[in-house]
Amino acid sequence: MSERQRPLPEIQPFSRPFWDGTRAHKLLIQHCCDCDALIFYPRRECPECWSTNLDWKESSGKATLYSFSVTYEGVEEKFADDLPIILAWVDLPEGIRMTTNIIDCDPEDVYIGMELEVAYRPLTDEVTLPFFRPVKL
Amino acid sequence: MSKRGIAIIGVSEVPTRRMPERTRWDILLDVCIGAVRDAGIDKDDINAVFSPNPMAQPQIALEMALGRIPEVLGLKGCRDICVTNAGGTSTTNCIRIAEQLIDSGQADFVLIPHTTVQSDIPVQDLINFFATAPLDKEWEYPWGVSFNGSMGLITQRYMHETGATAEDMAAVTVGLRAWAAMDPNSIFYEKPVTLEDVLNSRMISTPLHARECNFLADGGGALVLTSHEIAGELGGKAAYKLGHGTRFMSATPVLRKDVFHRRAYRETSSDALEQAGLSIEDMDLRQIYGAYPYTQCSALEAYGVCAIGDGAKLWAEGRCSPGGDLPCTTMGDATGRGHVGSGVSMAFYIDTARQLFGEAGERQVPDCAHAILTTSGGSVMNACTTVFGREPR
Repeated sequence: MSERQRPLPEIQPFSRPFWDGTRAHKLLIQHCCDCDALIFYPRRECPECWSTNLDWKESSGKATLYSFSVTYEGVEEKFADDLPIILAWVDLPEGIRMTTNIIDCDPEDVYIGMELEVAYRPLTDEVTLPFFRPVKL
Repeated sequence: MSKRGIAIIGVSEVPTRRMPERTRWDILLDVCIGAVRDAGIDKDDINAVFSPNPMAQPQIALEMALGRIPEVLGLKGCRDICVTNAGGTSTTNCIRIAEQLIDSGQADFVLIPHTTVQSDIPVQDLINFFATAPLDKEWEYPWGVSFNGSMGLITQRYMHETGATAEDMAAVTVGLRAWAAMDPNSIFYEKPVTLEDVLNSRMISTPLHARECNFLADGGGALVLTSHEIAGELGGKAAYKLGHGTRFMSATPVLRKDVFHRRAYRETSSDALEQAGLSIEDMDLRQIYGAYPYTQCSALEAYGVCAIGDGAKLWAEGRCSPGGDLPCTTMGDATGRGHVGSGVSMAFYIDTARQLFGEAGERQVPDCAHAILTTSGGSVMNACTTVFGREPR
């Protein structure tokens, strides 16, 4: 990671457990206790049934690469030190698709369908962002 | 003839340029006066002014929302005013509000003007706004996702699933720029590009090269709408709205199951064609506002113009470009025209009307009787499809 401070996520009261989870190196997915839906991104109400009876399930941290884009320019200055950035949409086996970056990987070596695992990188003492990296064979 | 229904009877626009000395009000006044004169009516015939929101320009947006246009122009017959904001589909919403007033007999003529000046906004501010505007501040932005990055993610997957090559995708931009090169209102007038030009331009966010991304510019345009009945009585040129369909997908691209928007394109085009009593084969012109090349492919597939996955091939074969048998997006989309924020859809409606008026100049599609137009807003959060004809049904 760069010297420059990347922007921090705007954390909501109801998403706080997710970020507490990443700080403890756990990838938590919000879950509806009433209709059993897995919810991403976290909401105040379940988007399926509007229940507020929500808890969290721990993900395996494995993922498959759905798509990627290697960004070379056109981002805010705060990201400039990290370019190129490998943007990724990853599919978790739990049925969630999330946005992340692939790290510890040459942009030339990325391919759709690649097997990945979560990697935690602290931005501050409070905020740890989940990234993904190739599974070592 | 149906009592209900609306038609575009007047259009006007200013050339899309980067020209900070041309103010937002210069553009607004020019296009309002131009469209009213083009419609052949009196200024006091205008009963309402509905405007797409100028993006990232809060001062002019507020002046327009709070009624300055009819006051400055002395529109004595004006009864209603508003600014709508659904990003790139704002113009579509203005047309639908106008339709309600006209159909219910509360307005005979509605003016829909748009203005945007981005050349006086510092480049880094524009990057910050357009890089982040449609993105989630908690679940996308912290990973460096930009508008181009989002669309790069979708395009990469599109190429993976369809087998479209970088050359096939670049052919879309070559086709769009070929149309734009014949349009004096495009920023790229008389500036066509080759496949090599596109493929050799800087890589912004794979697989998107600089020439496949959008160039932010200034511009504006206006429409005058009336009822089918009055358009018929006036006896002049008219582009009749014959059918319409609309679907919302999602604000955030990663949550979209309909990744390439094919379902939304298919359902909205089916709705619009069914209301019009026409089929996709009846369309002489296909107009797709997606602002990134893959939309020009997936929309054609979803309309039923070609098989799923063959959209880019149509462009690569030159069939959608000038001289082709399936003319498509004759104003060049945002990539070919210059991106004027929420005004790109305005330019699409104006171009569609001009094609049906027979006034599209060098770009004129021969004997253009019917056109289908899809607009989208945000990060392609929605699809709004309209069928227009030069005759009412």
